[in-house]
Amino acid sequence: MSLFGLFDIAKSAIFASQTALTVTSQNIANVNTPGFTRREALFAVAAPVALSGNLLGNGVTITGIKRYYDQFIQTQLLGQYENYGRSSALNQTLSQIEQIFNEAKNIGLAVPLTDFFNAWQELATNPEGFVQRSDLLQKANSLVLAAKQMERGITDNLESVSDSIDNIAERVNAIASEIAAINGKIVQVEAGSQVQNANDLRDQRDVLMNELATLVDFSSYEDENGSMTIMAGMRNLVSGETSNSLSTRTNEEGDKDLYLDGINITGNIKKGQLGGLISVRDTIRTNSLNGLRRLIASLIQEINALHRSGYGLDGTTDNDFFAPLQLSTRDFSSGADMTATITDSSQLTLDEYSIQFDASGNYFVYNKQNGTLVTSGAYVSGSPISFDGIEISITGTVTSTDKFTVSPLTDVMRNFQVAISDQQKIAAASSNAALPGDNSNALRIVQLYQNSIANLGGATLSSYYGGLVSTIGSMSRAASDSLTFDDNLLSELNTKRESLSGVSLDEEAANLIRFQRSYQAGAKMIQITDELLQTLLDL
Amino acid sequence: MRITSFMIFNQLTRSLQRNMEDFAKLNSQLASGKRIEKPSDDVIGMMRSLDYRLSINNTEQYKRNIEEANFHLQFTDKVLGSVSDSLLKLKELLSMGGNDQTDENRSFYSNQAAEWRDFLLELSNTKLRDRYIFSGYKTDQVAFSYNSSTCHYDYNGDLGKIQIPFDTGATLPSNIQGSEAFSLTLKGPLPTELPDGTPLNYTQTTDSSTGVTTITVEIGNAGDPDYDTFSVSNLMDVTNVLSYAWQYKDIDGSDLHSDAAIREEMAAHRLMALSIPLDDAGNQVLQVQAEIGTRQVHLNDQKTRLDNTALNLKNALSKTEDADMEETTTEILKTDTALQALRESASRLISQSLLDFLK
Repeated sequence: MSLFGLFDIAKSAIFASQTALTVTSQNIANVNTPGFTRREALFAVAAPVALSGNLLGNGVTITGIKRYYDQFIQTQLLGQYENYGRSSALNQTLSQIEQIFNEAKNIGLAVPLTDFFNAWQELATNPEGFVQRSDLLQKANSLVLAAKQMERGITDNLESVSDSIDNIAERVNAIASEIAAINGKIVQVEAGSQVQNANDLRDQRDVLMNELATLVDFSSYEDENGSMTIMAGMRNLVSGETSNSLSTRTNEEGDKDLYLDGINITGNIKKGQLGGLISVRDTIRTNSLNGLRRLIASLIQEINALHRSGYGLDGTTDNDFFAPLQLSTRDFSSGADMTATITDSSQLTLDEYSIQFDASGNYFVYNKQNGTLVTSGAYVSGSPISFDGIEISITGTVTSTDKFTVSPLTDVMRNFQVAISDQQKIAAASSNAALPGDNSNALRIVQLYQNSIANLGGATLSSYYGGLVSTIGSMSRAASDSLTFDDNLLSELNTKRESLSGVSLDEEAANLIRFQRSYQAGAKMIQITDELLQTLLDL
Repeated sequence: MRITSFMIFNQLTRSLQRNMEDFAKLNSQLASGKRIEKPSDDVIGMMRSLDYRLSINNTEQYKRNIEEANFHLQFTDKVLGSVSDSLLKLKELLSMGGNDQTDENRSFYSNQAAEWRDFLLELSNTKLRDRYIFSGYKTDQVAFSYNSSTCHYDYNGDLGKIQIPFDTGATLPSNIQGSEAFSLTLKGPLPTELPDGTPLNYTQTTDSSTGVTTITVEIGNAGDPDYDTFSVSNLMDVTNVLSYAWQYKDIDGSDLHSDAAIREEMAAHRLMALSIPLDDAGNQVLQVQAEIGTRQVHLNDQKTRLDNTALNLKNALSKTEDADMEETTTEILKTDTALQALRESASRLISQSLLDFLK
């Protein structure tokens, strides 16, 4: 073996140390980069040379750069980001709705509602008093205003949920196309290579996938080329270098539905912020919004029924106190029109109905709340259908695919107003002959506050409202608890990931010294070999 | 476990964040004095406090109703006190002047009775807050008015009782109808002859729609020259008959009889015959006053009860939703200590690095 062999060994030592120093520097430089996984240069003994039957060392080689990465932790992290996204969407929306019902700060309907009934008591003590009458009208108007504000608060929130769904869908699309682009690069870089060495690209892709997971739940797998396929709602979002666009469409309820690849995947999205928003808007709609509307509809129904039976100071009777309930209809037919009227408001259940037809010309009326069949029969074209105090009539021809819905609740708040403008018409008296001192009708209305109301499931007005408050309170509490839980779990998993993949500056500082020393020693070897050569040359 | 700088940093910021959150929450509890600031803080507590607050609100309204009813009843009681006094004066007048025969005196008594009559009419038509208090539901009409064609006083009100709610499902009338206070019902047994032996008969009929009792008085035997009959249906009627009788006249102003002796005898009979209704009227007014007293006692009891209830409810409300100041303050101190310790350890942990020791 020649002295030049020594040069080679020394050179390999210097090169290896330099590479290791580069890796260390890269680690130090990226100590604060999110998603960065620390690297390590892998040293190996270079293939030895056989010399006179002995195997002599041939220096060191770098066999690769190892990325400290655990696929298992990463998969867990993705799942947890999905949970976290869902919880944060639920928590954010529900805590806003909760503020609309925040009775702890006297925001809500409890005070205006009791004030309204107290005003009736004041009227009962002074049935002919104009002060009491105008006070009652004012309290009634405050109640109307408060209820309308609450509804607007809820619908505003639902609208902002819709807006968020749009924005998130856009962000999902942006991420999907980035991932698709990175897929392409990874395949290119790693083509033909046995090790996964597109480390930086992989880190970038992981960061994007983490963000995607907070937005929407998906399943993913990596093929042998290193390309990641991502499926949301069982449709491909990213496949190789192409990504599909997630789009939103407004459905018949006025909510946004998610479409991927032309297919409605709304029902399949359960987690991530999108999953949270989709589930929370249904909860808000059925619980808070419809609950509030039902409460006000019952109030209108009950107060009007009593008020119509009484007499005003001017001797008039049969006056509505609040503007009467109106039905709203939806038409899902090809060529028919439907009108609906209330024939007997005392029979109204305040539920929504759907009217459908079959091929043999029968109609079916379903209660949308509980799904029961209310009435059915052979449909005679043009003749009205009556059920639960509602009469509907249809013009034009109906087909078996036609569908109509009738709801007494949808427009409750829009039409909610005090119908009485002349305070003389407030009916405190039960009989015309007993005017003006008769207060017995006012007393019956006062009593209404304590009565259980069939359309509120037997609850009183105030206890039904209390139920609404406690429902939203419990939901908001549950959401904030699960957010705390998910946040802790996420932090725990991130700690686990950091423990493996994170950069420790102390460690890197030690490595710096280590590789600096080995570099210096390698250089020394070259110097010594040079001196040896000089010795030879000087012979 | 391998610890990296990012982990330390993360852990630190999270702990700081959590502590600051606790701090902010405690601070806001201290500021508002409320433990529950939104329903989700304590759903059950929130529902309870909502319940308490609505109950307190109801109680306050009932208290206001009771005050209003009490005010009405007290006022009515005062008016009835005057009625009672007037009736006593009238009785004195009757006992003093029942047998007086001089024209001059009789005209004095007659005028006196007429004055009491007008005073009673005024009392019966008392207004409170622009409402006639003795007209039942018909508070916009005078309770009693003089009918010049029948020469009687008519009741224009009805039997309406203005019920005031003073507790859940409980009401009590705040008014006394004119027919109850000013119309009189005779209580048996009734005499069948006057002290001088003349037959006497009282017949009472009550109008069920107004509650007014009309008493028809018959003196003497039908067909006798001194046979006399007349009817009264309220105190004003009674006083009116008295006033005219002192002048030997019927209420329409005509003489009781063309013969002076018979006229005198008939007038004397009238005065005698009305002393019993006058007694009963006095008793009846006292009874009505007693009824008012009972109502007031009932209302005052209820008010005391409501005061107690409100106090209990307010205590319960405070226990449910108010923050325990001492506990909150202690918690703040604890959080503050934890926060300081955290900052201290953080400053040491973060500032240390191997790089500082490598020269």
